Amino acid sequence: MALAPIFRKIFLVDLIKGLSLTFRYQDPKEIYTEQYPLERPQVAERYRGLPRLKMNPETGKTLCIACDLCAKACPENLITVESERDPVTKRKVLTKYTFDLSRCMFCGLCEESCSTDAIELTPDYEVAQYSRDGMVLDQKRLEEGPDRKEYKR
Amino acid sequence: MLNQLTQYLQSTVTPGQAGSMLWATIYILVIFAGISLCVVFINWGERKALAHFQIRLGPMRVGPHGLLQPIADALKLLLKEDTIPANADKVVFWVAPFIVTTAAFVVYLVVPFGPQHAVTDMNIGILFMLGVSSLGVLGIITAGWASNSHYPLLGSLRSSAQMVSYEVAMGLAVISAILMTSFTPGSGSGTLSMIGIVEAQKAQGVWFLFKFFPLGLVAFVVFAIAMIAETNRAPFDLPEAESELVAGFHTEYSGFRWSLFMLGEYAAMIAVSSIAVTLWLGGWMRPFPNLLSGTNWDTIFSLVPGAFFLFLSAVTLYSTARMPKKLTFRIQTVGLGAFGLLLGAVGLVMLVPGVRERVQDIFWFMLKVAVFMYLYIWYRATWPRYRFDQLMRVGWKVLLPLSLGVLIVTGVVGLSPELMTWLKGVL
Ligand code: SF4
Ligand code: SF4
Repeated sequence: MALAPIFRKIFLVDLIKGLSLTFRYQDPKEIYTEQYPLERPQVAERYRGLPRLKMNPETGKTLCIACDLCAKACPENLITVESERDPVTKRKVLTKYTFDLSRCMFCGLCEESCSTDAIELTPDYEVAQYSRDGMVLDQKRLEEGPDRKEYKR
Repeated sequence: MLNQLTQYLQSTVTPGQAGSMLWATIYILVIFAGISLCVVFINWGERKALAHFQIRLGPMRVGPHGLLQPIADALKLLLKEDTIPANADKVVFWVAPFIVTTAAFVVYLVVPFGPQHAVTDMNIGILFMLGVSSLGVLGIITAGWASNSHYPLLGSLRSSAQMVSYEVAMGLAVISAILMTSFTPGSGSGTLSMIGIVEAQKAQGVWFLFKFFPLGLVAFVVFAIAMIAETNRAPFDLPEAESELVAGFHTEYSGFRWSLFMLGEYAAMIAVSSIAVTLWLGGWMRPFPNLLSGTNWDTIFSLVPGAFFLFLSAVTLYSTARMPKKLTFRIQTVGLGAFGLLLGAVGLVMLVPGVRERVQDIFWFMLKVAVFMYLYIWYRATWPRYRFDQLMRVGWKVLLPLSLGVLIVTGVVGLSPELMTWLKGVL
């Protein structure tokens, strides 16, 4: 019989190995917990989360030209775009834009298809709402972004 | 009153031996309150340490680093609905947690926190401790039986089997330590008194852990394993194995009664740790009595307890200063600051020359026990639970022969001078 396994058993080598491993994990640097509302985790740059409708920063007008491409691209048909033609400029003007977040699977096809980069899926991951109706975002909420409390440590 | 105080300060024996009813009562109250408080904060420490072992943070929200969490927990437990199952045996169900807690606390009558700091010194101290602490299993069996439910019954059966079988190995390991007390040069007779055992280690100038190396060590290891099994802690926590038995014998308990079980369990942990400290780790004696001897070192070591408390106070005050400056945190901040000042005051009192010699014994004893508490948590964080047959195999086939062998060899080695002379006479 080999001696090494017997020695390992007598001197409880495996148990001591385990102890030293857990002891090393006590280092505060190893701590993995995020104190969530106080500390917000960094998600990947290309994470697709809460949608946003962009505005022209100079004029404050929406970038959306009401082309309806996003609504057509969406496999879930959850975007509705309503528009009317401006009698003077003969351009389409956005009158209503809704985005039903409850059905969205964050595939990103809408932002891919947008010709003016108006709709965008931001890396904001807090998409929970208090009601189903709250999941349907209108143009105003899409432009302003979520209104939420910030916690400080 | 003053008379009593001076009498107490001059006495060199425990209040029980001095026959002072008053001081014995005070000691009992202080020990009961102190151990309960320790249990509460060990509970916090366990959650915190366990969390760090598992790279988590643990309680963080109530007070700085969750320091006030145990108070919140205690409050919650006391306010919880206290249910008794419909078909339970009400009286037995009611009595069981009290048996467990009482058994765990009565043991502290003879725990020697210092040469003068024990309620009393019985001449059968260690026997009393082992006997009373095994009464705890009675409470566990009654709890399991009275609940009238499968899991508690199975849990309590396991618990009784485990405790009874590990008690044998534990007892034999204890006997080998008691045997060592009889090898004091010039005395020739051993002692069962807890204080006497520590005095014997002092007289022999060695902790029994290192006596007849490695015999003392092996006996200590046997005891250390058996004591984990005795207190139903991981990796021997089969009576409360969550995965198969819900919570074992206290499945049906809730609220105050459940917290009594917890109190009993942790008090028993401290109690068996103090047996181990008394028997093998030199009880209240300061570390390195031989290596760093002399009056200078004595003074330095006697300053350590006060310094330790001052350090704690500094840490507390620092974290008080770092508390969020919000109105909602006002009460917490003030409370924490007061706690820090209290710690500082205790530390300063401990530095006073007359006091520090008397208090340092308690400090060293508690420090050694605290190491054991840490080990308990460390084991729990590391090792998986044993299977029941493995548990029994370790108990009967490994620990029992080992402790028996150590006992015999200790006797032979201890008597070897006499044996030599006897052999010479025969030959
Ligand atoms: S991300 Fe996909 S599912 Fe969601 S709105 Fe855009 S296209 Fe539709
Ligand atoms: S694709 Fe872009 S521009 Fe066209 S309607 Fe959608 S958001 Fe507006």
